[in-house]
Amino acid sequence: MKRILGAALGILTAIGGFVDIGDLVTNAVVGSRFGLSLVWVVLLGVVGICLFANMSGRVAAVSGRATFEVIRERLGPRAAGANLVASFAINLLTLTAEVGGIALALHLVSSVEPRLWIPVAALAVWLVLWRTKFQIMENVAGLLGLLLIGFAVALFLLGPDWGELVRQVTQPSVPQSESPAVYWFYAIALFGAAMTPYEVFFFSSGAVEEGWKAKDLAQNRVNVLVGFPLGGLLSVAIAATAAVVLLPAGIEVSSLSQIVLPVAAAGGTLLLAAVIIGIFAATFGAALETSLSSGYTLAQFFGWSWGKFRRPARAARFHLTLIVSLVVAVAVLMTSVDPIAVTEMSVVFSAVALPLTYVPILVVANDPEYMGRHVNGRVMNALGGVYLVVIVVAALAAIPLMIATGAGS
Amino acid sequence: MTRAGRSTRIVDARLHLLSRQVLDDHGEPVAVVDDLELVAPDASQSPAPGSPARIGAVLCGPSLVTRLFGGRPPASRRARIEWDDVERLGTTLELRVRADSLDVGWAERWVRDRMIGRIPGGQHDPEASS
Amino acid sequence: MILSDILDAQVLGPDGARLGFVVDVRFEIEIEVEERAVAASEDEPEEKQEEKPGEKSEDVGQATLVGLLVSPRTGGSFLGYERSDVRSPWPIAHWVRWRHRGTFLVPWEDVADVRDGTVRLAAGYRRQDPGLP
Repeated sequence: MKRILGAALGILTAIGGFVDIGDLVTNAVVGSRFGLSLVWVVLLGVVGICLFANMSGRVAAVSGRATFEVIRERLGPRAAGANLVASFAINLLTLTAEVGGIALALHLVSSVEPRLWIPVAALAVWLVLWRTKFQIMENVAGLLGLLLIGFAVALFLLGPDWGELVRQVTQPSVPQSESPAVYWFYAIALFGAAMTPYEVFFFSSGAVEEGWKAKDLAQNRVNVLVGFPLGGLLSVAIAATAAVVLLPAGIEVSSLSQIVLPVAAAGGTLLLAAVIIGIFAATFGAALETSLSSGYTLAQFFGWSWGKFRRPARAARFHLTLIVSLVVAVAVLMTSVDPIAVTEMSVVFSAVALPLTYVPILVVANDPEYMGRHVNGRVMNALGGVYLVVIVVAALAAIPLMIATGAGS
Repeated sequence: MTRAGRSTRIVDARLHLLSRQVLDDHGEPVAVVDDLELVAPDASQSPAPGSPARIGAVLCGPSLVTRLFGGRPPASRRARIEWDDVERLGTTLELRVRADSLDVGWAERWVRDRMIGRIPGGQHDPEASS
Repeated sequence: MILSDILDAQVLGPDGARLGFVVDVRFEIEIEVEERAVAASEDEPEEKQEEKPGEKSEDVGQATLVGLLVSPRTGGSFLGYERSDVRSPWPIAHWVRWRHRGTFLVPWEDVADVRDGTVRLAAGYRRQDPGLP
C-alpha cells in the first residue's frame, strides 16, 4: 500500500492528464467512431509523457526548479511570456471544463440541475486547495480516481471479441465512415491530450511540494512508470468499452450518461456506482491539478512565492490566482456554454504550444550547472531527440488539420 | 579548524543572472532578476565606458507588458536589491535579508494584508499535523 | 548605467565597421569561502574524521565587469552553447554553435563609448576567447 501511495503524485497527474472530463468524452468519441485503431497514439503519448515527466521531475528534484521556472530562466522573458499566455489560457479552459464535469457527475446521481452544482463544486475545490495537505489531496483523489478501472472490468464482463480488438490495435486502419484527415486530427488530439503541458507543470511543482531531493530520484521514476501507464490503460479501457457497445450501435457520444452506458450494460448498478465515484474523483482531481497549474505557471513566471506547503499568507499572490481562476471558471460556466467542446479544441492548442515547454526541459536536463552529475544519459537524449521531432511535427500539423476537418466533425 | 579562501567565478549576465529567482534568507521566493545596475567602484555614479565598473544592485520589476513587448520602465519604478545583500549565487540568488524587509516585496505584502490574510485560515500551516 | 543599455546593442569598431551585437556581459565575482570542520564524533576511527567535509559557507563579494561578448547575430545565444563544453542535446547545441560561430570577448577597457544602443570599441581592441573557464 505504501508503495502505491508513494506513487500518488504520478497517479493523480496521470488522472488529470488522461481521464479528466475532456478525455473521458474524447476517448468515448474516438472509441465509438474509430474503434481501437488509434490506440497506438495513446501508447506513443504514454511513452512521451513518461520521458517528459521523468526529465522534469529529475530537474525539480536535483535543482529545486519547477518546470515553468526553467522555462522562464532558459527561454527569456518574451518567449516565456508567450508560453505563459498560451498555457494559462489552456489551463483556465480546462479548469472550467473540470468544474463543469464535477457538476455533471453530481447531476448523474441526483436530480439537481448541473447549473446549481457548479458553485458548490468550485467552492469544494477551493476548500481543498486552501486547507488540505498536498499529500492527503493527492492520495485521496488519486486512489478514488483509480475506480475508473471499472471500465476495464466492464470490458471483461461484456465478453467482446478479443481477437477483433487486438486486430484493431495492431493493424490500425481508417474506418470506412471516416476520412483520413479526421483520423489524423484525432491522432494529434489524443497525442496532445497525453502530453498536455499542465501535467508537467503539476508534476514538477508537486515534486518540489513533496520536497524531493537528489536521493529521491528512484521515487521519481516509480511515480512516472506507475502513474502514466495506468492513466493510458484507463483511457484505452474507456475507448474499448465505447468501441464494443457504442460503435456497433452507431450511438454518438454527446453526454456523460452515454459514456457510462457500456458499464451499466455490463455490470449493473454496483459497478456503475463505482465508476461514477471514479468519474467524480477524477474530475475533482483534474480540477485540483489544473487550478494549481494556473497558480504554479503564473507565480513561477513572475517569481512569486508559491506552494501549498507554505502558509497561504506566505504565498498570497499564488492563492489569489487560485481564487480568481475558480471564479472565472464559475462565471464562464454560468453562461451555459458547453465547456467540454471547448476543451477538445484546447487540447489541439496545447499540442501547438508543447515544443515551447519541452525544449527548455530537454536543455536544462543536460546542463551540469543545474543537474550536477545527474545530467541526461545517452539513451535519454536519444529518446528525447526523437520525441522532439514528433512534437514539432504534431505542433505544425495541428492547426491545419483542425481547419481542414472542422475540428473533427 | 577553519579554512578561509577567496576565489573568483566568471559569470555571464544573460546566461547566469537574468531571469533567475531571488530567494530571501529563509528560501522564500522574492522576485526575478530583470536587470542589473552598474556603478563605478566608489558607487557614487554611473561608470564611464572603459573604466572600472561593478554591479551595484539587482533590479526587479518591469510589468508583464514591458516583459512581453520590450521597452523599459524608468528607474524610479523598479525595485532595487543591493548587490551587497546577495549572499550566494547558484542557479538562484540567495539573499542575506528577509523578504518582508525589502521594497520589492510590497505587492506580496499588499495582497497578504488586504486579501489573503483576511480569509479565515490564511495563517494556517498546512504541513503542521492538525 | 543599466545592463540593458548594453545588452543587444550594436557593436561598431573604431572605424565604424559593424562587428555584431552584444549578446552577453561577463563579470568576475569574488567568492569568500569559509570551511569549518564539523565536530567529529568519538566512535569513528581517526582516518574517517579527517575526511569528513566541513560546513561550507559562501559569501558573494564584488562583481566586476570584465567584458562584452560580441556575436555576429542576435538570438539564441542565451543558451550559451558557443561558450561552454556542453554538447547535448545535440541538434540544439549544434545549431546554436553554428549560428554564433565568430563570437568573441572584448575586455571592458577596450570599449570607447556606449550611447543610444550602440557600443563603439576603442582602437586596438582585443578579441579574446569567449569560452567560460
